[in-house]
Amino acid sequence: MADLDAQVEQAIRGLARRIGRRTFLARLGTLLAGGASLPLLPVARSAAEGARVPPPDEDISGPEGDPTRCEYWRHCAIDGFACACCGGTASTCPPGTEMAPVTWVGTCRNPADGKDYIISYNDCCGKGFCARCGCNRNEGDRPDYHWVRNNDINWCASAASQVYHCSVAVVLGQATERQPER
Amino acid sequence: MRRWAWAAAGGGLALLAAAAPAAPPPVEDYVLHCSGCHRQDGAGVPGVVPALTRLRPFLETPAGRSYLVRVPGVAQAALDDDRLAALLNWVSSEISGVEPAPPFSAGEVRALRERPLRDPRAQRSTALGRSAQ
Repeated sequence: MADLDAQVEQAIRGLARRIGRRTFLARLGTLLAGGASLPLLPVARSAAEGARVPPPDEDISGPEGDPTRCEYWRHCAIDGFACACCGGTASTCPPGTEMAPVTWVGTCRNPADGKDYIISYNDCCGKGFCARCGCNRNEGDRPDYHWVRNNDINWCASAASQVYHCSVAVVLGQATERQPER
Repeated sequence: MRRWAWAAAGGGLALLAAAAPAAPPPVEDYVLHCSGCHRQDGAGVPGVVPALTRLRPFLETPAGRSYLVRVPGVAQAALDDDRLAALLNWVSSEISGVEPAPPFSAGEVRALRERPLRDPRAQRSTALGRSAQ
């Protein structure tokens, strides 16, 4: 242990001799500023990125409801565990999981304002089954052969880890018409 | 009396047709029918879902245009021919930055949809191979 202490001390003293305090601060500042800008890079932002439809009304009128319940309006076609019960929210994955980039998209009607909204059902992947708030609502769900409208698929197939944890229901925007297959 | 009833019914239907909501803009059809796999910016997922940002080689030849309409994800979309043509034009211009010349029409889409692709992968290579020549 004494050897380790000596080695570390020697390394730090060597570093101090080679690099002035101002240089160190400048490099530290660069590292911090660079690190802060990393989340701005176009990496793995999944449903959060590049929404091209008008965003939903700032305040979707009426009570939002309880995202930890299967009856929550955004869960109209969910088949899996609601992420709001798993350490995430209705639109964000729990820590330690990754949002699958490929998903299916449908519409749900918000009973509070009577409007239809475009919902992206993204799976969160990388941990075992959450096993809480298991929901199986199938409004607009279609058989496997119409797979782009099928909620039995493990959409984690497109993620780094194919292990399914839970599902989110992200509002992408207001729909001018209800999902046509209904 | 009966003639009046028919006229009233016809008038009612005409009013209903006039009051029918306009079709959603192509961007909405894109989000609902395409973006789940191809993602909202059309980038796709490398090795899993093709990008829609590089359609130029397809748009430059008849075989490429034919492939774009007949590929199952397009041909089987739950959209009528008019909306599908508008969606193809929107994806080409807004995501790939290429204006199709001529623009896709409902008639072209209708005719191509009637001929399903038997082997999409082989047809894709053929379409790209021809465009590369």
